[in-house]
Amino acid sequence: MNIKRLIEIDFSLFFSTIILTFFGILMIYSSGINSSGVLVSNEYVKQIVFAVIGILIIGVLVIFDYRRLYDYAEYFYVFFLLLVLYTVFFGKLVNGARAWIGFGNFGIQPSEFLKIATIILLAKNLENSKRSDEPLKRFIIAASIVLLPMAFILLQPDLGTALVFIPIFLVASFIAGMPKRYILYTIFLIGFTGFFTILPLWQTHILKGSLPFLKIFQNLKIVGIIIVSMTLISGIAWYGYKRYRKNYFYWIVYVLSFLILSLSASLLAHKVLKEYQIMRLIVFMDPYIDPRGSGWNIIQSITAIGSGGLFGKGYLLGTQSHYRFLPQQSTDFIFSIFSEEMGFIGGLLLFSLFLIIFLRLINIIKTTSDPFGAYIVAGLSGMFVFHFLINVGMAMGIMPITGIPLLFLSYGGSSLLTALIGIGISLSIYVRRFEH
Amino acid sequence: MSLKIPTGEERPAERIAVIQIIYIVIIVVYAIKLFSMQIISGNLYRSKATNITQRLTVIPAQRGEIFDRNFNQPIVLNIDSFAVQITPGEIPKEMLSTVFQKVADIVGISKKSIDLKIPVQYYRMYQPIDIAVNVPFETIARLAEHKNELPGVNWRSNPIRNYVDTGSLSHIIGYVGEITKDELKLLYNRGYQSGDVIGKAGIEKQYDEFLRGKNGREIKIVDVRGKKINNEDNTIKESPEMGKNLVLTIDRSMQTLAEKALGERMGSVVILKPSTGEILAMVSYPWYNPNVFNKNDIGATYQQILEDPKKPLINRAIQSSYPPASTFKIIMSTALLNEKAYPPDKTIECKGEISYGGRVWKCWIHKPGHGFLNLQQALAQSCDIYFWVAGRDYLGAERIIAYTKDFGFGELTGIDIPGEGAGFIPTPQWKERKFHEKWLAGDTMNMSIGQGYTLVTPLQMANMVAMVVNSGVIYQPHLLKEIRDPVSGAIIRTIQPNVLHKSDVDPSVFQTVRENMRSVITEGTARFPMNIKAVEIAGKTGTGEVGLADRWHSWFAAYAPYNTENPDDQIVVSIIVEASNSWEWWAPYASAIIFQGIFAQQSYEEAVQTLGFQYLMPLRERRE
Repeated sequence: MNIKRLIEIDFSLFFSTIILTFFGILMIYSSGINSSGVLVSNEYVKQIVFAVIGILIIGVLVIFDYRRLYDYAEYFYVFFLLLVLYTVFFGKLVNGARAWIGFGNFGIQPSEFLKIATIILLAKNLENSKRSDEPLKRFIIAASIVLLPMAFILLQPDLGTALVFIPIFLVASFIAGMPKRYILYTIFLIGFTGFFTILPLWQTHILKGSLPFLKIFQNLKIVGIIIVSMTLISGIAWYGYKRYRKNYFYWIVYVLSFLILSLSASLLAHKVLKEYQIMRLIVFMDPYIDPRGSGWNIIQSITAIGSGGLFGKGYLLGTQSHYRFLPQQSTDFIFSIFSEEMGFIGGLLLFSLFLIIFLRLINIIKTTSDPFGAYIVAGLSGMFVFHFLINVGMAMGIMPITGIPLLFLSYGGSSLLTALIGIGISLSIYVRRFEH
Repeated sequence: MSLKIPTGEERPAERIAVIQIIYIVIIVVYAIKLFSMQIISGNLYRSKATNITQRLTVIPAQRGEIFDRNFNQPIVLNIDSFAVQITPGEIPKEMLSTVFQKVADIVGISKKSIDLKIPVQYYRMYQPIDIAVNVPFETIARLAEHKNELPGVNWRSNPIRNYVDTGSLSHIIGYVGEITKDELKLLYNRGYQSGDVIGKAGIEKQYDEFLRGKNGREIKIVDVRGKKINNEDNTIKESPEMGKNLVLTIDRSMQTLAEKALGERMGSVVILKPSTGEILAMVSYPWYNPNVFNKNDIGATYQQILEDPKKPLINRAIQSSYPPASTFKIIMSTALLNEKAYPPDKTIECKGEISYGGRVWKCWIHKPGHGFLNLQQALAQSCDIYFWVAGRDYLGAERIIAYTKDFGFGELTGIDIPGEGAGFIPTPQWKERKFHEKWLAGDTMNMSIGQGYTLVTPLQMANMVAMVVNSGVIYQPHLLKEIRDPVSGAIIRTIQPNVLHKSDVDPSVFQTVRENMRSVITEGTARFPMNIKAVEIAGKTGTGEVGLADRWHSWFAAYAPYNTENPDDQIVVSIIVEASNSWEWWAPYASAIIFQGIFAQQSYEEAVQTLGFQYLMPLRERRE
């Protein structure tokens, strides 16, 4: 423990974070003002409180050695996992998901903190297993560490938060030297699952017709037959690979197995997801197919951003937002109100700050001597980038609506604290980059 | 110190570079997208938004109407009502105060309430603000006469729910109200929005999905201050879709008959069609007037209803449970016969009282008692001693509990309105947990005559009789018969009977139980007043101890006709009159009136006349 650590931190990373958080508070204040100029919400006060708490936590994390997290990784993981499980049954129901534990007026969202706990355990595991285990076993164990929290969060059900674990896993294990074919396999599997899931709705709502060869995916019997026959073929191919050691057998199993898995997963998704949830996933392709429902948000958001122009309409002067056309301005669509009021110049500044954060994190991954620390930062960077990618993309109408916040800016104590804790851990690793 | 640590195999430099490139590409692509939106197509969006925005007005859908089973006259319909609106921006500044005053006078509200709704900051707004709702047509007509002096004053149609003479139907129908924040949280994903009207109780709540219809909307292009831009073709209008009409299983004439037969007595009546589970009538007294929830001053009235000690919001037919008392002897008879626990022809002597467990157990008839009775006679005379002995010595607690469960007690019937209670069946394990005391033979004796801890709802009681009538089947009780299209009247869905319980008891046992239940009327406790000419009734009385010296819960559970070729003719009636009323042994009388009314097709008054009940003297002593 050493207070002097505080002046050794990466100041560009730290101040980018602080400025983004400050922007967030400004925009939350703005979103609380209604069309007649009256402040109707005190969300910004709460956000200031959380920001101050978060900055104090950053200080504490910098002073203490992050290696202690190594020893407690399992405890954090299990603790937050159990909390999430608790919310599945007893959580407060907000917008259709039980993701909250309420204390009177206050609520915390344990799934946010579970992200950090999972990153730490994943990093620990990747470090431990890097020499001892054979690659496949290492991959499966690492994947299970991430799949368990995903499954629990899907039960809440909170699709957006569950998806964040995928980039965390991909970036951390990629940096940890996991064979490329496994990483690609994961990407294919997820990509095809998404493809098969939205295919039927894409046909009915966007194509407005059906292509004969796509019809087979709607017939449960045919899909069943396809799955069974592909399973048989890959079984035979696996036998062939074991017996003759020919590589093409391996690749047959490789391709067939992710097709089988993604087909089955999409069947499951259609059972579990409600149609409106899948609709939200596809309206971004054409918001006008459902202008009354999910499309409304996107249309309003795009209009708000587009009308911002080069310099924006000025702080507190946005029209789309203050006239309440924009839904959930302070959380999901905070980027829209920001762009409307601050314009392209403001948007560029915001992007630059995020880019600085991403590049400084990459720098830590490169320079730190401790693989454990590097993997943590890799996972964290995956989380930050994914939140940015999905949230900003959603506001601009090029990503599906999944309702995940823009870290640092969106209103919400749990997500802000999670983001600041992530930065705190990264800084703690940075100041000790030559020590472990 | 700035020298880079070789990252080696575990963190290959090229992999880090790949990640770095991906991150940079994401930011760059998004920056380009932002550039294209804000700079290249910026003008397009600005023309949409800077000075001109879309304003959306919701046109509320008409809620579906609710009919009784005869589908002639709606029980619930929508009546036209208006909301008065003021658009402050349209009123010249110097006129504001006079206009407010005039509107207040015509509508009959205070000017202060308008000032509260339209504070000074709003004076330049072109957004209409509701200042009064549920305004009748006459008032609107007077506003229209003065239209020239009242710039900026408007009105919109705001249909409200009118419950026509619902009386005791209020518990079944329920009522509607504006959606609350908590409800919205739960239903947000099902397309509900704040400001929506939603069913709060009864059928209105249960079938809200069908009744609510789909709101229409009107999108107008307005400028930033909400003023409509006068371009010719800029309004998009989507018409609302009316909600579906519901046809209930309730027969309005039976409901009225049952309501009058119960009169102003705390209690409940259920009339059930055993062959399908359709509920023909369901009364719970006292009831409330659902129209009070439409009023502007709903707060005060609602508080008054909530504080009423008689609790009119409770639907006693499904939410209150009572000890079944002697009606439970029907289940005991079924159990004794089916288990062959004690020969039905063999007698047990009733001397009016027995001693057991250190206390004296008295039959409802005091010394010298009923004498020697077999099963049929014991049921007819409702002899407690017979069932105490038979339950304690020949049947035992476990088997009694099993048969009680078989009749559907202690579990929800699944009736299609919210808030049902399950009643209760005690078990030895439960008693041990709750009181840390062992289950004694005395508990078994209490249970055998329907006293003690067993609790049932009047609806479960009706189901018990249905089980006997149907020889071992209970159909799920329901209130919805059909869903119909509001325009064409075509049937969209018909509710089919659904088996709730199926018992393994031998059908011949139920035949004997039915014969014994008939003997209750022909020679037993209920000979007067139940042995009427209009129809052959079979049933069982019950008089529940509640710890009061001169008043008891009065039960009657019966069905008629006793024997028939066509099971569709049969009806089950279950009545409870609570002990809180003055003692009249009213349940059997009420049943007699109901059966007389239904099978002789008479009104309540005619039925009372025919049966001669208008000369009735109030009873004083206990009757079984």
